[in-house]
Amino acid sequence: MESLNANLLHASQRTGSDKQAWLNAGGGTALRQAFADPAAVFSAIKEANLRGLGGSGYPVWRKWEAVAKEAPRPDKYLVCNGNEDEPGTFKDRLLLENTPHQIIEGALLAALAVGANRIVFYVNPDLSRSLTAMQAALDQWQFGPFLQEASKVLGHAVDMELVPSSGHYIGGEETAALEWIEGKFPFPRGKPPYPAQFGVHGCPTLINNVETLAHVPAIVRNGAEWFRNQGIGQATGTKLYSLSGDVLHPGVYELPMGTTLNDLIFVHGGGLLSGKPLKAVFTGGPSNTLLTPADLDVHLDFDSLRERGGALGTGAMIVVSEGTGIVKRVAEYIRFFAHSSCGQCPPCKTGTANLSRLIDRIDTGRGTADDLATLESLCRMLPGSGRCHLVNGAVQLLDSSFRHFRHEYRAALRS
Amino acid sequence: MNGPTLQAALAAYRSDSELPPLPDPIDPDRLLSAFHPDHLRGSITTLKVGPNTGTQCQRELADLLQTEAIIDEVDLAGVPVTDTDVLVIGGGGAGCAAALAAAERGARVLLASKLRLGNSNTVMAEGGIQAAIEPGDSAQKHMQDTLRAGHHAGDPALVAALVGDGPDVIRWLIRQGMQFDQTPSGDLHTRRAGGTSAPRIMHCRDYTGLEMMRVLREAVIQHRSIEVWEQSAAVELLSNESGQKCVGAVLKSQTDGSLRIVRTRSVILATGGLGRLHLNGFPTSNHLGSTGDGLVLAYRIGARLCELDSFQYHPTGLVNPPLLSGKLVTEGLRGAGAVLLNAKGERFIDELQPRDIVSAAIIRECQEGRGIHPESGGVGVWLDTARLERSQPGLLEQQFPKLLARTRIAGIDPRQQPILVYPTLHYQNGGVVIDVNGASSVPGLYAVGEVAGGIHGRNRIMGNALLEIIGFGRRAGASAAHSSHDRGPKKITLEHVNRARRALTLAGMSLEKRAPQIMPAYTAPGK
Amino acid sequence: MSETSDGATVELTINGTAVCAEPHMTVVEAAWAGGVPRVTGVGCLEGVCGSCRILIKRGSDVGVALACETIVDQGIEVLFLPPPSTALHQYELAEFDDGWDSQARFHEIFPEASRCRHCHGCVRSCPRGIAVEEGVALATAGRFREAGEAFFECVMCELCDSACPEQIAPAHVGLFSRRITAHFHLRPPNLIHRLEELRQHPFSGPGEKESS
Repeated sequence: MESLNANLLHASQRTGSDKQAWLNAGGGTALRQAFADPAAVFSAIKEANLRGLGGSGYPVWRKWEAVAKEAPRPDKYLVCNGNEDEPGTFKDRLLLENTPHQIIEGALLAALAVGANRIVFYVNPDLSRSLTAMQAALDQWQFGPFLQEASKVLGHAVDMELVPSSGHYIGGEETAALEWIEGKFPFPRGKPPYPAQFGVHGCPTLINNVETLAHVPAIVRNGAEWFRNQGIGQATGTKLYSLSGDVLHPGVYELPMGTTLNDLIFVHGGGLLSGKPLKAVFTGGPSNTLLTPADLDVHLDFDSLRERGGALGTGAMIVVSEGTGIVKRVAEYIRFFAHSSCGQCPPCKTGTANLSRLIDRIDTGRGTADDLATLESLCRMLPGSGRCHLVNGAVQLLDSSFRHFRHEYRAALRS
Repeated sequence: MNGPTLQAALAAYRSDSELPPLPDPIDPDRLLSAFHPDHLRGSITTLKVGPNTGTQCQRELADLLQTEAIIDEVDLAGVPVTDTDVLVIGGGGAGCAAALAAAERGARVLLASKLRLGNSNTVMAEGGIQAAIEPGDSAQKHMQDTLRAGHHAGDPALVAALVGDGPDVIRWLIRQGMQFDQTPSGDLHTRRAGGTSAPRIMHCRDYTGLEMMRVLREAVIQHRSIEVWEQSAAVELLSNESGQKCVGAVLKSQTDGSLRIVRTRSVILATGGLGRLHLNGFPTSNHLGSTGDGLVLAYRIGARLCELDSFQYHPTGLVNPPLLSGKLVTEGLRGAGAVLLNAKGERFIDELQPRDIVSAAIIRECQEGRGIHPESGGVGVWLDTARLERSQPGLLEQQFPKLLARTRIAGIDPRQQPILVYPTLHYQNGGVVIDVNGASSVPGLYAVGEVAGGIHGRNRIMGNALLEIIGFGRRAGASAAHSSHDRGPKKITLEHVNRARRALTLAGMSLEKRAPQIMPAYTAPGK
Repeated sequence: MSETSDGATVELTINGTAVCAEPHMTVVEAAWAGGVPRVTGVGCLEGVCGSCRILIKRGSDVGVALACETIVDQGIEVLFLPPPSTALHQYELAEFDDGWDSQARFHEIFPEASRCRHCHGCVRSCPRGIAVEEGVALATAGRFREAGEAFFECVMCELCDSACPEQIAPAHVGLFSRRITAHFHLRPPNLIHRLEELRQHPFSGPGEKESS
């Protein structure tokens, strides 16, 4: 149990916006190291093999390198993505509310590493306590010594601002966030070009998730090897798992990256409610494949899950016991996707709307075999038809549920 | 039957060639009896059972009317029953007008449509709707034109009701939200049509039917007292104990085959025509649902019908490519001045004669070797849209956008080249005999729109169909809503089906064929 | 066997069924030719009834269209979409005042219209090429005649309704605009004159003598 909440969520780090408490807990140490040797930040992150924790699992150093290479045009941006809006994911809000200074330090370190002079904290206003805490914390950095020193080291003025997002789920998509920061509706852009080359107002932009940036200070302070040792097997560092659903103790658990599903649910999560058998786990925010009891042994890290045909995503694990129906739960998530589709791409909007209608019909006893066949046809046709991955996620979830639980769909059909 | 190929004819065509004068008109009766499909040898027979025993009837229609029902009493076990005041069967212009009129007078209305509400021949109508509103025109003239074009077979009382309603129907449509083309002074723009003595066709470019249907459909969907059941086909009517009165209908879902019973005080049949029976092997302008269902149901329950040997073949149906075959090209083009040319580039008939005359003339040209033959099959003559465009540049785009839209997907531009046309099965001139309120000879059963007969005699003029569906739709809806003294049916039976069954058996006729057909066989291959 | 040269067949998938069709066929004709029954979601076969809505995948492009006016192509995948569920923006023209309150009433009936986020999804979905988004903006500004004119070719297929993330129901906004224009503004002198004449001297039917 010592492995629980060892770093980001360590009691000493949960200072809220109290800057002195943060300083007392070692806050600012990494920054001072970075001022002396900015290049060391990048090599530490690379050595540590920190992965993108907003869902992609993409090696952080690669993204940083791409942005570092670009010349400012005339600025360079760093966006901290705190739009967290998916069902079952609730880790970023915890960090924003409880460890805002840790996040700000991480962002400033990243900015130093890539040469970004404009830092934007992009936070979902629905997370009202997070927004308040971040604003209070940020106010204490403005015109402060850290910012001044950073400006000196970088060679131009560094500024930081808090931008409440639109609250739309789609605003969490990288390029959509950029659109909102530019003052427009958060429609995802087509990629390429990538934010690294063409981001906010055309400037090179690094965009990282809150949790990702939160890890940076400790990595710089304690070293890459320390971070590597925290993980299990090939995985490095710790991960905030959002555990919810039919478990005794839902909540956020910071554990070694690579903790098994079994341990998460039974050792830390208190096991299933009423002792009911495990049926399935919706992973990563529901746009991924389902895990089943056969997967209890899987290590919850990016590579192990990919090998298992799944994905870690945001590390959300929504647990479903035998007492919960799959069809209704999937219908709920598909409805979420249909509602969240931004409208730019008719196949996504119309496609998810039809997926939702059809699965609702099945769930409410009005579905026919034809409806099921139409759902399957849609699953074949829709992937890749949108500018972003929303429609792909919806289809992936549906497909996975068909694969493992087709009998439940069939049983719900009108005879 | 030889004439040049389409390629050759197009190559020889010139939009600015000098046109020789029209030949002297031939006696119309001789033209019709020699060439009109109604007069095809062997295509007419006599009905042997039912209220019209002994009447002449087109052979394929006779086969459909003298049939067994598609359900039996045992199929009704456990079928849910819904009660309503007025059941309207058919979701086109007539059905919607009837439903709105009944609902306006406080009746609860159920409208059942076998396809989507608005799927109809109404929505495809192009040319316009007639009403005598111009100075120099009168209801009397409108009436005379109608009776004359119908070869004086129409019922004068019905025609009087039709034309008398005209101006008020237009006002009602405008109140519902329908737009019409206007002149710069704000008047409704009017055009002449084949067989009209004065300009009295009002239109909304060449999308009159679309404009009308989308407005009526919206009004119906939003009306609080009208419930709409789509994909619900009427497969049989219901009668009272003695089988003499219509008390409801059996509806079948087109999506899952389940049955539902509707018990009601009045049934209004607004089921449209029968073009998709492709009588005499003709292509049709009609929508897919035109399978004569209402006619079959009315006949089986004992309603008298009329003019069952008379069908309108619209002169200008498209011929090529196959996907456009039979599709309507509005008479409005001829009204605007487009001429018909045979393979020799000559006019051969006054284009604004009534439709049956013009159709017969086109068939004559083609049969006598002056038709044009496209590679994809069929034959036709030119409707010279290119010459029209040349004399009035921009006219086609402004006034006939639907024609351009449709031919565009086939890669044809009517502004650059004439289009190939041939008569297409378009309209059922006869149908269920009704009174001025749309009531049939069976108590409780009304019929309005194309399914009803007695108005157009043996040939309909353009614009009278759209007038009929609204005028008589409203009359029937109002009348049906007023059966306040009737407490509604007590017993619902298929007694009329038994009666029909007995009649067929005693007449030595087969019970193998079943009707109504609901959809053309080719829409569900392998079933 | 699978080139689209003359006389060769075209292979496509309709509602999950592999179908062989001739190159000039529309998707509806191909469905029937290939044994896929279509007794719903079809109607006029000439693009005015708006029933035959399809999702169509060509290579990596996915879009929506009307089946009766889509010619088949090698390798396409087609799905007939379920009929739209009509959003009920309810109103009765008869309950409107005198036309001066039209814009206020519009916003009561279609409150979503002023929240258009300009995603262009409606424009991309329209098989008639209507400038749907612009039409909605015109209606929102009270310019109903122009808005209605923009929607002139609308066949009420409601593909734009399905595509709208704010649930504006653009097709119904367009139809409302057309209806309100006719209802309040269409007062043709020739019709009005004849109606007045008939009010004073009703047409008496078949027995009436010809006047003038």
